[in-house]
Amino acid sequence: MNIRMKDVTVSFKNGVTAVDHVSLEIPRGIFGLLGENGAGKTTLMRVLATIRKPSEGTLLMDDMVYSEENYEKIRRKIGYLPQELNLYPNLTVLECLEYLGELSGVPRKVCRERIDEYLEKTGLKEHRKKKLKQLSGGMKRRVGLVQALLNDPKFLIVDEPTTGLDPEERIRIRNLLADFSIDRTILFSTHVVEDLAAVCSRLAVMKKGKFLYTGEMGELLHMAKGHIWAGTVKNEEEARKWERTCHIISKQYTENGLRIKLISKQKPEPDCAQPEITLEDAYMYLMNCAEEK
Amino acid sequence: MKQEIKVVLPAYKVFYSLFFPVILCLIRGVSRADEIGGALDPSIALLSLVFCAESWVMERNGRRWEIFALYPAKNRLRTVFRRLAVQLCYLCVLSYAGYFLCYWQRPSLPPEKTAAGLYGGYLCAVTATVFFWSVLSMTLSNLFRSQWAGIGGSFLLWLTLFSAFGEKALGNFNVFAYAFRELDGAEDFSWMAGKAAGIAAAAFLLALQPRILKRRG
Repeated sequence: MNIRMKDVTVSFKNGVTAVDHVSLEIPRGIFGLLGENGAGKTTLMRVLATIRKPSEGTLLMDDMVYSEENYEKIRRKIGYLPQELNLYPNLTVLECLEYLGELSGVPRKVCRERIDEYLEKTGLKEHRKKKLKQLSGGMKRRVGLVQALLNDPKFLIVDEPTTGLDPEERIRIRNLLADFSIDRTILFSTHVVEDLAAVCSRLAVMKKGKFLYTGEMGELLHMAKGHIWAGTVKNEEEARKWERTCHIISKQYTENGLRIKLISKQKPEPDCAQPEITLEDAYMYLMNCAEEK
Repeated sequence: MKQEIKVVLPAYKVFYSLFFPVILCLIRGVSRADEIGGALDPSIALLSLVFCAESWVMERNGRRWEIFALYPAKNRLRTVFRRLAVQLCYLCVLSYAGYFLCYWQRPSLPPEKTAAGLYGGYLCAVTATVFFWSVLSMTLSNLFRSQWAGIGGSFLLWLTLFSAFGEKALGNFNVFAYAFRELDGAEDFSWMAGKAAGIAAAAFLLALQPRILKRRG
């Protein structure tokens, strides 16, 4: 499944433009959407999930236009895990999923089979008779993920599924998304850079409603190459001197002094070296470029 | 349906609704058996309008509205009606049973009336009351996407109708005509016009639900 957006804008009644003339193509597999809080990621996802209509622009799911008359058909192909989802605390995992499956119009027998399959895959089978209020945050996110898969969607939209989870749960959810991406298009939004680095090869970076970058992750890393430097300074005061000319993106106290990573067009000091660039570095470089502009 | 019952009848709602008729029969004095229905009817209306306001907007409060928006419209509508049906049944059973709690005050039975006849009249009246106020409150909540709008709007109407002004303006067509009925003499059933008007209004509001859910759901 291929999703295409052309010149999409979302403006609110109060005059705020959350998404500003963006165009994008989302191919099969996991596509990452990265951006700071308030960048417009959730609004864009709501538009893609048909929950919000764009003020301008066109969207296509394969060749089907996002329009009122096609919404029912499009919705049948979409699975959505919103950023905040508080499922029924008094229902058990199984009851809740059966209930939501029935609501989404999946035949009971098929729904039961899918629930069994996904509970097994998500490691929730042994917890299926527990009430949702008894589950941990990570388990609730996994239940949320299962509900998004009940109608066997071809386009899965997951909005910050790993936020607030411990590292083990985050890795588990990332791996699940990778498993589910084999025959699906997945839009994975987050502001946790390392989560995207682990599962995506293509991504878009958003800031203030616009895309700063869309394309391959490797290309983004390549763009930042030659602009990220690492060095060690004696103390905070010396680091502050560097800060006047460069943008420091990380600090770490070590036995030898204060190790800093910074963004600079030229080599800032003779003993600075180019470290291996991570997606986080590239993201910070991109944000820095946007601020300079 | 099991899930629906668990969703719309959480422990706190069952708890306060069970206490409602108990407290009501303790604080509302009745000396005659034919006063019981009139004493309970407007109060049950209050309970109904609070109880059913969140039937659908609970999805918004619970932040589930985004996934509900993706479900087929007919399934959403079916869920609204099922939830309403569960709550109506519960409130009816509660109000039917609550009637007998008032008998602890040992009210006298007027010679020209029978206990069964009074209870039969009460069953009809309170069923219409529960139906009208539940549907009204849910409709306003759905329309304004807020249970407080549902409760507030319905309560304002309750205050207007359950007043000297309401009694004078609408007469037997007031939904509270049963509570205002003349108790002396043989049982008068002219209050049924008010209850019929309430049922008709509720049916009209139910018919509007598909449109309201489409636009505001």
